[in-house]
Amino acid sequence: MAKIKKAKKPETTIPTASMSDIAFLLLLFFMVSTVFVKEKGLNVTMPQADEIQKIPRDQSATIYVDRNGNISIDDLIVSIPDVKWVMQKKLIENFNVISCFRTDENTNYGIMSDILNQLREAETLRVSFEAKLKR
Amino acid sequence: MLKRKRKDLGGIPTASMSDVAFLLLVFFLSTTKFDVKKGLGLVLPPASANADKKVKLNDDNITKVWINAEGEITIIFGDNEETITMSELEAKIKQIITENPDMVISLKTDRKSKYKNMVHALDKLQAAGAEKISLSTN
Repeated sequence: MAKIKKAKKPETTIPTASMSDIAFLLLLFFMVSTVFVKEKGLNVTMPQADEIQKIPRDQSATIYVDRNGNISIDDLIVSIPDVKWVMQKKLIENFNVISCFRTDENTNYGIMSDILNQLREAETLRVSFEAKLKR
Repeated sequence: MLKRKRKDLGGIPTASMSDVAFLLLVFFLSTTKFDVKKGLGLVLPPASANADKKVKLNDDNITKVWINAEGEITIIFGDNEETITMSELEAKIKQIITENPDMVISLKTDRKSKYKNMVHALDKLQAAGAEKISLSTN
């Protein structure tokens, strides 16, 4: 009697060998596309507010003011009279520059007022007071 | 006939490779914090030396909001003058603006007052819908 071989059923498996390639590709993509903020700035605790709006990053120039009254623009400690020419330089680079204040909540307002006057003289009239969303 | 013993193929197991990669991916995804800038926007008036025309405002169209060194708020409009709290400010300004949409709010903060008082007040003014806001100090 001749033996009849049973036809083998094809195995159904999902190939997982390339799975790691996909995961690593995603990982590499995020690692490459992530841009870290270079600015160190000053150590500040920002005030809280409700009516905050997003500020376009490419138009913003950040001014750090800490509670001792130190002013930092582009990681450079500047004095109040120097704010004018630093911001004028920023205005030449970008006409729509928005000065963003990262000021400590316990800073005296007098310093802020002096800086605002410097900004007015530098003609950088668009300002934004950075704040955290109130919870 | 003797069957030849098959040689064991030496290989690195790759099945758990994807687990490792996904774990790293999830770690980076969850720990990455995007630094979104958010704040209260304002446009300053040009410096007075450069201003060609000075607009004289009618006193009826100005509401003064004063913040002193202790953070107390006094609101002056017309002949009325009252001391209010920060939580009352929004409703008060809203009422004034509905009565007179041309109203300019002048926010005057003491030099010794804390910055957060001014930001909180500005926040309330913007929440109340005030569009004409001027900042000044003594």
